[in-house]
Formats: sequence, C-alpha cells, structure tokens
Amino acid sequence: MSDDKPHAGGSIEPGDTSQRVGVTTLEERGLDVDELIDKLKAAAGAEFTTYYYYTNLRMHLAGHEDYKEITEDARLEDRAHFELVAPRIYELGGALPNDIREFANGASCPDAELPVPYEGDIPDTEDLTAEDTLEVLLEAERCAIRTWNEICDMTEGKDRRTFDMAQRILQEEIEHEAWFVELLSMERDGEINPAGHFVRGEPGEAPYSTNRRINDSA
Amino acid sequence: MTTYSVEIEVPDEHDIEGVDPGGSVTVEVDESEYVLAAARDQGVWLPAFCQQGWCTTCAAEVLDGDLDHSDAKRYYAVDAQAGFALTCVATPRSDLRLRACAEIAMKEHREANGLQPTP
Repeated sequence: MSDDKPHAGGSIEPGDTSQRVGVTTLEERGLDVDELIDKLKAAAGAEFTTYYYYTNLRMHLAGHEDYKEITEDARLEDRAHFELVAPRIYELGGALPNDIREFANGASCPDAELPVPYEGDIPDTEDLTAEDTLEVLLEAERCAIRTWNEICDMTEGKDRRTFDMAQRILQEEIEHEAWFVELLSMERDGEINPAGHFVRGEPGEAPYSTNRRINDSA
Repeated sequence: MTTYSVEIEVPDEHDIEGVDPGGSVTVEVDESEYVLAAARDQGVWLPAFCQQGWCTTCAAEVLDGDLDHSDAKRYYAVDAQAGFALTCVATPRSDLRLRACAEIAMKEHREANGLQPTP
C-alpha cells in the first residue's frame, strides 16, 4: 500500500465483485454485519406492514378528517422508510425474503391491526372509536422508535451510512409519536399536548428520510 | 410492592454492557416492572428491539422461577413450557435465574413448533 494513498489498497483484488469494501470495512470495525442485516430486515418488515395496517386504520377513522390526514402522513412516510431501508439490505449483502408472509412474520413490531373483532372478512365496527385507533397508531410508532434506536446503537461509530439512515428515520418516528400523543390526549382525555404537526409539503414528504423524491409515477 | 432478585447469566460469546461475558449479575425487579427495563435501569444493557413482546430479540432462558407474560404481543404456551421468557414484557412472580441472549434458541424452538418468528 502506498504511503501517499493509504486507502488505495486492501484485501479485495481489483475488479472482484464478489466482495464489497462497504461491508468489509464494517467488519473491520467490529460490526456483526449478518446481525445488522437481520435487524434491518425486521425493521423494514415493520415499516412495510405498518404501511399496510395504517391504510386500514386510516380508512376507519371515518368522520375524523384531521386524524385521517395525519395518519396519511405517517403511513406514507413509513412506506418511504421501507424504500430507504430495502436497498441498504442489499448493499450489505443481504436480501429481502421472496415470501411476503415470511417478511411480515419477521417484522420487528406487532401488527397494527384494527382493534375490533372480525366476522369473516368484515370488521365489526359497532364499538370502534377513534380513541382505540389512535392508541394502536401510537403504540406502533413507539415500537418503531425503540427499534430504530437499537439500530442506531448497533451502528454508531461503526457503520456511518446505516447510522445516518436510522437516525433520519428515527427523527420522523419521533414526530409521528408526538402527533398521536397530541391526538389521543385530546380525544381521550381532553388534554392539550401540542406536537407541532406542521403540514408537510405534500403528504408523505418524509423530510428527514427521503433521499430521492418519489416521482409522480411511483 | 414485592421486589424479586433476578440473577442474569450471560453466555461467553455475548458482550453485554454491565456483565462480564460468561459471568452473571443480580438485579432487583419489582413485581410490576419488566425485567428488561429494570436491568437496563441498573446498568445491565440486555438486548432488545421492539419491547412489546413480539420480536424475540430479548429472549432469555428461564433456569429457575416464574414470570408473567400477560403484556406480550406474541408469546405462546409452548414458549413457557420450553422455558423461554421475553424479558422486555415479563414481570417476575418469584426470584429468578435467567440466561440472557437466547434469541436464536427461541427462534429455533418456534420453528420446531411451527410458530413465528423463525431463524
């Protein structure tokens, strides 16, 4: 290795595409990359299933257009998180499961199901309240905060790219929690706990976590 | 309020802040406290991820004692029979001896029983 260019060499042969310096340099720093891949797949699964479940939760906030709008921001931003994490899994040498059921079952957070019994394919919404739905939304965000904090802990000082990504996703999950704390506090307790939900440029803008804008055809 | 002593063993190959690899540490846990939170409050940084009793990252083997898993989102009778605990949502019902870092073992147990999540 040249003294003038200390990073010009390394253990990977020039042109070898079977290995990635972007992975070996993490292992050199003591990161268990396989464990990280597992955690990222679980976290990506949670973001993806949240996107699905929030679609259903949002539709059942009938008559609460304000709650729907805020849930829509969280829903689309969680989709953006999934789309940000997925390429990183591949960069690290991992892959998404071919079977979506395996992917969903391995999600790091519980299913954010509509909190009512189902009769066959139809939910029994007779006793469904906005309060119940907001509590499900809130707890889903809290799980996301915990998981992304753990990934920040795993990667801090070792994997700058994943750490930066996790940190930016975490920023939005913390905002989402604050939104639902505000809504649930007022809906359930009549308490004012402001969150500062300023309208995004457009729904799902994901100001911290979107590297590249989703184009109109996405 | 009853407080229980929880002895936590850490396998050799795991690096857990607050416990020497291969060593053990004892923490005090109130009957209404989750083992994970109490341990972390006392400087023992056990692994966890969802902290809702869903993902199994926090799994431990129960060597002795009883826990309550009422708050777990995904915990089965066979998990208890096989001696696995989810420390993130488990409250003690007696003094305990646990072996931490059992995620892989618990996932293999789940796979053997046709339950999720699997390794």
